[in-house]
Amino acid sequence: MSFTVRFEPNNQEIVLAGSMRPHDAGELADMRRTMEGALAAVSGTLYFNAKRLVQLNNAGLHELVSFVRRAHELKPTLRMVFVTSSYVGWQERKFALLAQLHPNVVVEQYDKDFYPGQTVLENSGFIPILRTQTKMTWRHERDILPRHGLRNGMAIADICCGIGDFAVLVAKEFRPNRIIAIDHAPQSLEYARRVAGEFGVEGIDYIQGDAANLLLEDNQFDFVTCRHSLQVFDRPELILRELLRICKPGGRVYITNEKNSHCLGEPRAESIQWTYNEVARIWAHFKMDIELGPKSRRYLMDAGFEDIKIESFMVTNLDGDPQDFADVIAAWEDVYAGQMAVQRGDDAEFIARFRQGFQDHIAAALHPKGYAGWPIWAASGRKPS
Amino acid sequence: MQAEADLAARNRICDIAMRTELFAADWSNCDRVSNYVANLVSQRRADPLRYANLFSSVLNELLETAFRKHGASGNINCRVYRGGKHDTIEISIPCDDATRGFYASAVTEASRPDVAERFVKALLDDAEFRPEIGLLELAADYHATLHLDTSVAGIARITVDFVLDERNH
Repeated sequence: MSFTVRFEPNNQEIVLAGSMRPHDAGELADMRRTMEGALAAVSGTLYFNAKRLVQLNNAGLHELVSFVRRAHELKPTLRMVFVTSSYVGWQERKFALLAQLHPNVVVEQYDKDFYPGQTVLENSGFIPILRTQTKMTWRHERDILPRHGLRNGMAIADICCGIGDFAVLVAKEFRPNRIIAIDHAPQSLEYARRVAGEFGVEGIDYIQGDAANLLLEDNQFDFVTCRHSLQVFDRPELILRELLRICKPGGRVYITNEKNSHCLGEPRAESIQWTYNEVARIWAHFKMDIELGPKSRRYLMDAGFEDIKIESFMVTNLDGDPQDFADVIAAWEDVYAGQMAVQRGDDAEFIARFRQGFQDHIAAALHPKGYAGWPIWAASGRKPS
Repeated sequence: MQAEADLAARNRICDIAMRTELFAADWSNCDRVSNYVANLVSQRRADPLRYANLFSSVLNELLETAFRKHGASGNINCRVYRGGKHDTIEISIPCDDATRGFYASAVTEASRPDVAERFVKALLDDAEFRPEIGLLELAADYHATLHLDTSVAGIARITVDFVLDERNH
């Protein structure tokens, strides 16, 4: 893997990426020139973005030390912030050494700040219900996935795999040649490994990582999936850029997303409709877009994909046991009304009405003549050859 | 010897031999070999990518040291042993008297209780890059135990025993 360095003046940021393992300082002459140029141009704070710096040997670190020392000689008040990733095991220790050089050198871990809304979801009782959701969506996706290009024997990456059950189902159904599943939450991965073990499925590599800064090399996978996740990020285009990068030319990236305001139910349609419109607003408040589903086509086009396919499907109370559907809605109520609305500072009257819509959706799901739906958009694009 | 007895109790999971002249002809061999071996030995770890990244960091520093300090000819052998959470890298490097002296001094320094301070000082204070810095880092940052065996004429055999950090998994 090669090493790149570039300066982004708008952010006063030096971006270091790849594997920086020089034999000596002479090999880093280009880096030195870039950093000297940056140093001349900035004031206040200079950022070093090391989120995708996969390797750094001591010769490289020695050169960074030398630069930091020189920077402080030239600009004693300059603050230097090294932004690291918690997914690269050596970074915290190695960059901490730089912080010993001068009080103005600061090392920050980036990963938490990128996911403003996810903490709400992951700290909730949401994880148990994800498995039920996957069971319900899999009934549809098992047939949809081949239409988007999934075949037996492929190399597959499931990015933002959550509790990993989708990867298990894909592994069993489509017998991939290789499958990795990545998520940023260690507790989800631990659960994922347990699920795979329970099902006797071997060969899935569960990896902790940041979807926006994957430590995978380019052009690795025939089929890359990212389900119900772009809607959780405030900058989904950064994730799509990475999905495109790791996908092989000619391979496909498959995404699913929702549009919660289109959740529906009969009877009590009006109450249900009101609540799900509010769900969309509350997600937006936490910088997430639960309305992203139909926007998938635009996002894929803007990211540079071709041959884009998009379709929608409706998970309903008639898919298997209606109680499963009701359980999912009850979990949503707990999180959206019980936690997110409270965190937003909504009053009791609003929360009571908000909850009622979920209860009505559950009632519709369990009603002998009722119908309840949850729409999802599945889209994919091909990476240009 | 105790070190050999310890290794015999572990599984050898990788064994490669490289002609010194070929290995030392291209610096990028250190990166290539360390990544190749790291991917090989990380397959069944909880998080293979993270483990391989860390393992590669360790092995690369060893190989870079061997690249900088080795005798004229012969094989560089690299073996990896595993026992539970412990991994051991054994690297045999052809050496002359000067090279042997370098490794004896470096391993002694890496075994001192104040190795962490020595590593930081070498990195932050010294204007010139010191070739033993990689070995100091292994002891200081990875809490590796280093051992040098020079009982075979013309060979410096270094064993590095460590447990990689698999927290959060």
